[in-house]
Amino acid sequence: MKILLVEDDAETLEHVTDALAAAGHRVDSATDGLDGLARAMKGDYAALILDRMLPGMEGLEIVKRLRGSGSQTPVLFLTTMSGIGDRVEGLEGGADDYLVKPFAFAELLARVNAMTRRADPQSGRGVPTRLNVGDLEMDLIRRSVQRDGKRIELQAQEFKLLEYLMRNTGRAVTRAMLLENVWNLHFDPRTNIVETHMSRLRAKVDRGFGDEMIHTIRGTGYVLRAD
Amino acid sequence: MFSAPTKAFLRFVESRKRSISLLCRGSGRKAAAHFSWNRFRLLHTEGFRICAIFVAVFALAMAVLASSVLFIVNEEFRDQIVQFAQADIAAVRDGYRMEGTSEAVEVIGQRMAAPGASDFFLLERGRDRLAGNLAPMPAREGVVALAYPGPDQRHAILGIGAFLAPGLYVFSGSDLFHARLARQRIVATLIWVFAAGLVLAGVGGTLVSRNFLRRTDAIASTCRAIMDGNLKTRIPVRGAQDEMDRLAETINRMLDRIAGLMENLHQVTNDIAHDLRTPVTHLRHRLERARSQAATVQDYEQALEAAIAASDEILALFTALLRIAQIEGGARRSAFAPVELAPLLRHLQDVFGPVAEDSGHSLSIRLEAMATVRGDRDLLVQLFSNLIENAIVHTPGGTAICVVLALTDGRGTVTVSDNGPGVPLEEHANLFRRLYRREASRTRPGYGLGLALVAAIAELHGASIGIDRRTGAGFAIGLSFLVTDNRPPDP
Repeated sequence: MKILLVEDDAETLEHVTDALAAAGHRVDSATDGLDGLARAMKGDYAALILDRMLPGMEGLEIVKRLRGSGSQTPVLFLTTMSGIGDRVEGLEGGADDYLVKPFAFAELLARVNAMTRRADPQSGRGVPTRLNVGDLEMDLIRRSVQRDGKRIELQAQEFKLLEYLMRNTGRAVTRAMLLENVWNLHFDPRTNIVETHMSRLRAKVDRGFGDEMIHTIRGTGYVLRAD
Repeated sequence: MFSAPTKAFLRFVESRKRSISLLCRGSGRKAAAHFSWNRFRLLHTEGFRICAIFVAVFALAMAVLASSVLFIVNEEFRDQIVQFAQADIAAVRDGYRMEGTSEAVEVIGQRMAAPGASDFFLLERGRDRLAGNLAPMPAREGVVALAYPGPDQRHAILGIGAFLAPGLYVFSGSDLFHARLARQRIVATLIWVFAAGLVLAGVGGTLVSRNFLRRTDAIASTCRAIMDGNLKTRIPVRGAQDEMDRLAETINRMLDRIAGLMENLHQVTNDIAHDLRTPVTHLRHRLERARSQAATVQDYEQALEAAIAASDEILALFTALLRIAQIEGGARRSAFAPVELAPLLRHLQDVFGPVAEDSGHSLSIRLEAMATVRGDRDLLVQLFSNLIENAIVHTPGGTAICVVLALTDGRGTVTVSDNGPGVPLEEHANLFRRLYRREASRTRPGYGLGLALVAAIAELHGASIGIDRRTGAGFAIGLSFLVTDNRPPDP
């Protein structure tokens, strides 16, 4: 994927560029807000990664201008950890996701992947009523799940968790992404919420069905895939 | 231009000036500079400025008063002179009508002798003066003003001329000198009054400004002392309850608040330094050990994993501290919206129920009422999550945790209680302190920021917070919110 990174800190820029390149992405970069906006307007990027605080023009302003000009390119905001309340502001301004510095590169890659998938017109055509991954089937209208033809009874939270995993089939999702998108929790919990719910879901979805579909990726999170 | 004594005085001043300036030169440049700076400062005070405006208004009022008085006095004198003259002319005319010219001459003689009479008379036929003390002049009827026959410019004659019969002219008039004299006296008096007023205003202004300056100087010197590091200095309050006292008290209160915040910051900085030393030291030890002892790639990988985890923990601690600081700053209040507490708590039960169950706890929830509060949903979720997680983390398995939403005295109260071992009373006061961790929980994960964050979020929402003081019955913490809407619970 071709990604534009706008970041004024040289070291962060270098590290993030390396990490994205190592994951197979092509990266263009800008260190100034105005330059960033000009490139974003011109280039055909799959995703934009913007720092919130930039010289020349703030990240939020860049997103507003982009959206104003009709661009739908997914945007991920990077911000310092002190930016409380920035998340809502950023998302309202038109950003698709939000990541607080310092972050793990795995987290950044997972979010960029999820973001570009959401924006992919092929995947978003029409509102799906069914999700299928291998022999796993989810009916979004009847709120029911089957695997290999056998009905699986899920609690509401487990259903939401599985739905999120299935919508991101084959892509790693991090704990933070799950906390935010499945349970709407925007802080780092002290208890193992993700692990608890995940193990319950695994017990229902994977146990007794031969192949495991939910896999743990060390240092990153989880992935659901049909081998 | 100047009278002789004035010139003498000016010469005296001129001679003194030289010696004064010599004296100044002798006392040194610095002293002279200081003197002029002081004078300059006094002129630039608000008090002096107000005085100057006052003096200007006063001078304007005096000028208006003086010109009206002079106008009125002038008119009055003229009226009086004209009236006298009219009476004279009428008497002479009566005499002439009854007895002829000789009687007119007689009447003039009588009137000139009477006390308080007009100063000048004339009766002439053709070019001949028949009576009076004025030289013959061109005969004009009505009110007539004449130059005084003499060198003194201050004199002038005003009077009335009339014809008794064709060719028989009579004039009666008075000297305007008296009127002019009275005017001069009035002007002199007003100038004295004005000068005295000016001096008084100047003295008053100086006193007021000096007092004002003294008090602002006190504030300035206090501020300088604080800038120099003497943070305990406060502005003296005179106890007069005036606006300067109120200002001083307000500034002092502000200084107290800043001092309190700084002390708090100082405390937190110390705590952070202390609390960070341990994880940073551990991190360093691990890295050193890896360098000296790691033999395989796997060893290195493990060491790096541990190092990353340790640095994450340190960063998380920073994030938590900054979050508290920001919430305490009240930055998020602008984004407040109505939040229904019941569904929020139900959601948390769904999230934390399985977690509690897995660690052998039970989490139950009782919604006795519905309550809507104004707030930030994310922060309220974090607040209640913190309380529930505290109960899960700090109590042994088998403990029952109960969350209750109720309406008490019109306020929405949320209580999180457990039947665990509880917290000793003497530690209750310390629970909300940042980075405070009970000895018993030092080995568990967490930074001792949970309840400090809870307190900060509660404060932001105007919620009061209370801990159940009964001991031996587990631990219970309650929050009381102002509700914007309450209904009976959904069936």
